[in-house]
Amino acid sequence: MTISGLGPHGERAAPPERVSLLPEDIAAVKAATRRVAIVLHTLDGDWTRLQISGMLGVFGDCGVVVTEVVDCGFSADRQVAELDRLIAANPDAIVALPVANEQVAAAFGRVSAAGIRLVLLENVPTGLLPGSHYTSLVSSDNFGLGRMAAAGLAPHLAQGAAVGVLGFAADFFATNEREIAFTNWMQANRSDVQTHVLRFGAVDEAADLAERLIADHPEISAFFVVWDTPAMAVSTRFAEAGRSIVIATVDLGEDVAISLATGKPFVSVAAQQPFQQGVVAARTTILALLGRTIPAWIALPGVPVTRDNVADSFQIIWRKPAPREVLRSLGLTP
Amino acid sequence: MSPHAAETAESSRTRGKGRPRNSETAAPSLVEILNLIRTERATTRQALERESELGRAVVADRLQLLADLGLVDESELGLATGGRAPRLVRFAARRGLVLVATLDQTAIGVGVSDLSGNLLTEHHEAADLTAPVAHLASRLATLFRWCLERQSIPTAPWGISLSVPGTVPSLRDGAFMTATPPVLPAWADFPLVETLTRQFGVPVWMRSSVETMTMGELHAGAGHGLRSMLFIKVGRRIGAGIVCDGQLYRGAQGAAGLIGALPVQSDGLTGTLDAMAGSDMIQREGRAAADTGRSPVLADLLRRGSEITPIEVSQAAQIGDPAAVAILSKSGHLIGQVVATLANALNPDLIVMSGTLAQTNDILLAGIREAVYGASHPLVTRDLRIIRSQMGSSAGLVGAARVASEAIFAPAFLKDWIIQGKPTLHPDFAAYCARAQIAEVPQSVAAPPSVQERIAP
Repeated sequence: MTISGLGPHGERAAPPERVSLLPEDIAAVKAATRRVAIVLHTLDGDWTRLQISGMLGVFGDCGVVVTEVVDCGFSADRQVAELDRLIAANPDAIVALPVANEQVAAAFGRVSAAGIRLVLLENVPTGLLPGSHYTSLVSSDNFGLGRMAAAGLAPHLAQGAAVGVLGFAADFFATNEREIAFTNWMQANRSDVQTHVLRFGAVDEAADLAERLIADHPEISAFFVVWDTPAMAVSTRFAEAGRSIVIATVDLGEDVAISLATGKPFVSVAAQQPFQQGVVAARTTILALLGRTIPAWIALPGVPVTRDNVADSFQIIWRKPAPREVLRSLGLTP
Repeated sequence: MSPHAAETAESSRTRGKGRPRNSETAAPSLVEILNLIRTERATTRQALERESELGRAVVADRLQLLADLGLVDESELGLATGGRAPRLVRFAARRGLVLVATLDQTAIGVGVSDLSGNLLTEHHEAADLTAPVAHLASRLATLFRWCLERQSIPTAPWGISLSVPGTVPSLRDGAFMTATPPVLPAWADFPLVETLTRQFGVPVWMRSSVETMTMGELHAGAGHGLRSMLFIKVGRRIGAGIVCDGQLYRGAQGAAGLIGALPVQSDGLTGTLDAMAGSDMIQREGRAAADTGRSPVLADLLRRGSEITPIEVSQAAQIGDPAAVAILSKSGHLIGQVVATLANALNPDLIVMSGTLAQTNDILLAGIREAVYGASHPLVTRDLRIIRSQMGSSAGLVGAARVASEAIFAPAFLKDWIIQGKPTLHPDFAAYCARAQIAEVPQSVAAPPSVQERIAP
């Protein structure tokens, strides 16, 4: 599958195969004990769990020790403090997901200035450059995910429909790309559809914002929310109110998969491959530790999921059987 | 006359007799002091007095005026060197924003920078520059509004700066663009500059992509702090950005560095450097190598239904495919020969290679290095570094931001708006806007009222 987006600096994507490990790479990295720290936006949720699991497996196979997995709780201040603490601990490399843009840029700059290899996930604070401030960015094709969600939602929209778009208020590469791509796809392919955008700063604001959008634009019949946890919150709020809407989002969380299988309100999901992404991030880090040439942006394509392929997609993405409720809704199990 | 125009016309009118206004005599020293602060040549009152050779009272008066205009900030304390810590004088770079965009054949990039040219937000997406210009203008406007909405503190834009895939003639009269230059054939029929000015109410500047990328590399990339640099962009066309004495050299017509038009020879054929070494050649020769089976890697890709683009040829060369290696090596040598001529003429500190191929392909870079080192005077290459750019397309955005900030704060332009507090109130710009307002804004690209309120200057 092709990558439709461009990197944070306009780079063309390199495929994940570009960072495969050869037996001699593994032997070389095992020759010394290397320490890596992982710094994530949150440790909650399936996406993070799978991402960490993908990384830990590869690091373990290569004799690289993960010294800690840090939870930044979506807080820029906390991330800055954790990075400064880690600089003192001086690991060989840090794999990190920057939770914000400007507020954390200087702290990430200090990491690379301290000689610690830095591999970024999903987001690059503006002003940081590959090669000088970080080694590489590993992310999903977030632009592609936004387009995929839009294309999946479009058949469920009547002529002239209105769609509420809930973006993320933080200046964040991944969610920015999804939001821009979704509205761009609609403008290009369904110019009859109106989009109304609001952005939430915290996950628990999403449902309130969705209600506000509906109050301002009662004609809204569908939502696109830039990831699954806030999308579930919106779904629950409207279910409680007895309001019928359809939703598209990114990431096939378990609850979203169950909803998708029943046919409502989730109708279109553009899923990332978090396990695979973790594997690629770990391989990239290992090649960085060995001083190999690495592309500035490595992107993984998304998986379009609808009711028709939710059971098998769930297995591909989460590496476990689909929940019983999913199989039951699809008539695949009693 | 609009209220906007009336305000500026009044303030710029000179008195017939009597003493000149304070604002009329203050402008030159205000310009000097602001530019000393902005470029960080002076960061305390004492340093300002020393650098400007103005008295303490004058400096204090001008600083007060600049603070009232929101252009400087004195809230921070510096390091004490015995005695009281001096109050630092800082340029208020967030007073306004600059909207920047890079347009090339296959992608557009947009961003927002502060007035010092630091990029705050950026986004790049694939685009087709051969599509109607109205679509491009509409997409640019949508993305610019998106960028403005993303700013945590809503701030008005002060200018738009575009990086475009062609030569932009030097401005003969005036400090900002008042008409759309025919950079691309389609632009002859669409007033891109006028449309953007009308929609955002700010002056527009434009430079070729090679020029903006050179500026970006010079101010925020590998060329930071250097006096002499060559920037070479390799794509379908090959161009050079020339930095002499720390300044971008544009030439008489803004057409300096068009090295792609130079004739070169290879395999008994003569052609332009663009045709003989550019990415079209790499694609064409790669496809031929795939068709004839000379390149097993490319032939395999072709069998699997993949298109052969310069990227595939480059990747094949990276993994050692002999035919692909030969193609990239030939391109590198031809580019290197021309770059060597320039290097011998200019004796740069640094040569930065840019463009997807030059930034990702080791063989191309090796070919260029070999030709430059082989064909240059030993003194020229003694400390010369030839490196690949690390900035990607960000170089164009950062450079475009620098183009705008240099234009906004150029003394000749600054002296006529500084008293008003922002460049959108410059008398020439206000007069241009008043003329442009007569033409109606196309509905399809007009900003929704809510957005217009947020970004109103």
